[in-house]
Amino acid sequence: MQNERLDIHLRERPAQLEEAKRKGVKVIGYFPGNYVPEELIYASGAIPVCLANGGSPQPAAAALSVVPNMICPFARTQIGERLSKKDPYYSMIDMLVAPITCQHLKKAAEVWEYFDGLEIFKLGIPQQHKNDFELEYFGGRLRLLKDRLQTFTGNNITAEKMREAVELYNRMRVLLRQMSTLRKASTPSISALDFIKLNHASFYADPVFMVEVLDSVYRELKQENQGIKIESPRILLVGPSIGKGDYQVLELISAAGGEIVIEEICEGVRYYWNEIDNRGDIFQSLVKGYLVDRVPCAFMRYSTGERFNHALRLIEEFNVSGVIWYELLCCETYDSESYFFSRKLSERNIPMLTLEYDYGTDIAGQLKTRIEAFIEILKG
Amino acid sequence: MKEFLGLCGFNEKEIELELPRVEKAFTKLGITASDIEQGKLRLKTYYAIELEGVRKIIRLVLRECINSLLVKDEGVEKIIYGFMCPGIDLISSALACKSRKVYAIHHSWALHIVVGCILGKLEGILEAAEEKWLKAGIVSHCANVKTLVGPVMLGLFPKPDLLITSGFLCETAPKTLDLLYELYNIPVRYIDAPPDRELGEYSLPNDRVAPMAALSMRKVVQAVQEIVGFEISDDLLTEVLEARNRQEAVMGRIKAVIENSNPLPLSPALENIWTCLGALPLNIDGIEEATEALSTLYIELQERVARGIGVVEKDAPRVMAILPMGQTDPRLEQLACEVGIAIVATDQSVVMPPLGTSDDPYVKYFIARLNGSMGLPLKKRVPLIVEGCRKLNIDGVLDRYHVGCRSVAADALLIESAVKRELGIPVLLLEWESFDPRVFNLNEYKKRLEIFKTMMLEKKNKT
Repeated sequence: MQNERLDIHLRERPAQLEEAKRKGVKVIGYFPGNYVPEELIYASGAIPVCLANGGSPQPAAAALSVVPNMICPFARTQIGERLSKKDPYYSMIDMLVAPITCQHLKKAAEVWEYFDGLEIFKLGIPQQHKNDFELEYFGGRLRLLKDRLQTFTGNNITAEKMREAVELYNRMRVLLRQMSTLRKASTPSISALDFIKLNHASFYADPVFMVEVLDSVYRELKQENQGIKIESPRILLVGPSIGKGDYQVLELISAAGGEIVIEEICEGVRYYWNEIDNRGDIFQSLVKGYLVDRVPCAFMRYSTGERFNHALRLIEEFNVSGVIWYELLCCETYDSESYFFSRKLSERNIPMLTLEYDYGTDIAGQLKTRIEAFIEILKG
Repeated sequence: MKEFLGLCGFNEKEIELELPRVEKAFTKLGITASDIEQGKLRLKTYYAIELEGVRKIIRLVLRECINSLLVKDEGVEKIIYGFMCPGIDLISSALACKSRKVYAIHHSWALHIVVGCILGKLEGILEAAEEKWLKAGIVSHCANVKTLVGPVMLGLFPKPDLLITSGFLCETAPKTLDLLYELYNIPVRYIDAPPDRELGEYSLPNDRVAPMAALSMRKVVQAVQEIVGFEISDDLLTEVLEARNRQEAVMGRIKAVIENSNPLPLSPALENIWTCLGALPLNIDGIEEATEALSTLYIELQERVARGIGVVEKDAPRVMAILPMGQTDPRLEQLACEVGIAIVATDQSVVMPPLGTSDDPYVKYFIARLNGSMGLPLKKRVPLIVEGCRKLNIDGVLDRYHVGCRSVAADALLIESAVKRELGIPVLLLEWESFDPRVFNLNEYKKRLEIFKTMMLEKKNKT
């Protein structure tokens, strides 16, 4: 029932946004990675849209006319989608907020800037945040983003609007977290694929509507969470990115009899472990919530150990028996980390499978064979 | 060996003095007699060692490479490596001014030249890194970081007390150091500032990113001070910065001679050698010595120009090469000369004029250094390259894009299309690895360079 409502909403969403644009409302896109506070965009009266397509070979290939293939397929997809303008979200946005994270996504923003007259705000992310000046830098950029949004939309971002927006998105985070943690049970009532699809939907849907849907879905799932205990190996999926549409590996794992019970993904999945503190100085809260109180992405400094410890906690909490490391081709940071993770997990007798994928169709057979073999190992 | 050292600019007295050290260091590297023969041949073939300035420069580079290999044996107590790290040139020189018991170096550059370019013996080092997390293959890990990890894994370089890097141009260097910390417990510090300047900001004083980078560097210098046990004052850094600026001024004059002379007076294979001096950990006297070596080269180049001596024929097609150059192998640059192509400039020549000023040596340093071509966003970098080509009357662009560097390699196709569209001149794209001599393919490169030359000549003849 809720899925049907959501499907209809998502089908109608581009038309809704076009209509809103005709009425003067701005649609503001941003690249994923969870460093761009949607709250700020929402509070400005604009409509935030996270541009997170991935998985399809065509847009990634289309970008090869402007960048070589050592740019990862996810970043290339963001370029290819903008160039081809086949996806309505990529062509309708009025402004892009580009978090300057890894070189790949930074380059995607630069290519947009190169070809477009589109307003682009580059949100520099300090690669470390142990010092006050780093926190101040990020806070300064967020304040500037607020000013830019106000000018761009013609609306004032008041403290009240900010608090309402934070409350709304916090509610979404809480629901996603609650839903995700249902998978700690021995009978997960939602598959990884369905959870990720819901997560992806939250980037495009109207946030008020999305909260309603998530709330209903969560209540349904909670009731269902009493089923038959599954015997499938429980898997932690780690990787840089699961784009909207990048579902092949998830499907192959499921088809091979594995159950992904938790993901540690940087891009393409909303960060839902913590909420933004809605008391006191909201900008300090945003800095804390978006930069400090979170597991760092692999491009951040001193991140490897912290990310590994987080993975260990997930492995324990979600009773994981094996790790699938799903990296995108040419993602140099995750590729380096995979060596570290596999070594350290091996010391703890936790098997890990490393998969590299470039959204191509020609290696599907190879992926399938490797995943099946790994699941068999986990089954013992 | 003595002849080799002589070719590298050592006089007889120095040869006697340095020979045991060089032999010891080379034994560590596994350098054999035949490697030395190869080194002599390469020096004679690629490096214009008939020029006194060149010999003086190579001498300084070789000496630094030997120093870096023997630091522990020679009683140095604290070792710091900078890697892909703006600022390490200042820090290392400041440390060298104050103590002989401390050694800090942007270590890989001298190693690249001696072990890679001259001795042709880098493969083992690269393979040692590839056995760890920097695997070979399509992921295209930068071979530059392999030349850091390889020597540490092989025990050629001692485990340092501190590693410093930055992420201005890549994540590979910081991630590599992060793993060196996690796996081998080597402390790491980072100098960072998000490269997030917007287009409009380039015409304004750099009062946001440069100060952020400066604060980050100050924090790192604090950590360095704690390790070495003495202060690095702003006054000392200012003194070093001024000495480095004098050195850079001479480099600028050399560059101008190369860019503006016909025929081309010096092989581009030498560019990474004379520019390397800017990264060696020299104290003030050492920087002056390096500046003097550069001045000698500058005078000799002027003499060559006056006498019409060139490394290619007069009126050879003039080419701008996109950075980075061949850091560990001189053969591609030399091949260009042999084919009759004059690489007269790199995109190092195109810089956004740095704006802003400061009395703070850290801020001053970063204002000057954050506007180079490689660090600019596409929309600034591409027009700047086009404009540079126009100004230098360039006939073609050689973009041998370094696959290990996402930041620069990603720009190659757009540079190509813009140069062709705006200037109508040929562009040769070569996908390669600037730090890995194993990619060199004589037949392929020769054929492509010859075609490139033909295209440039045809275009020239038409106009």
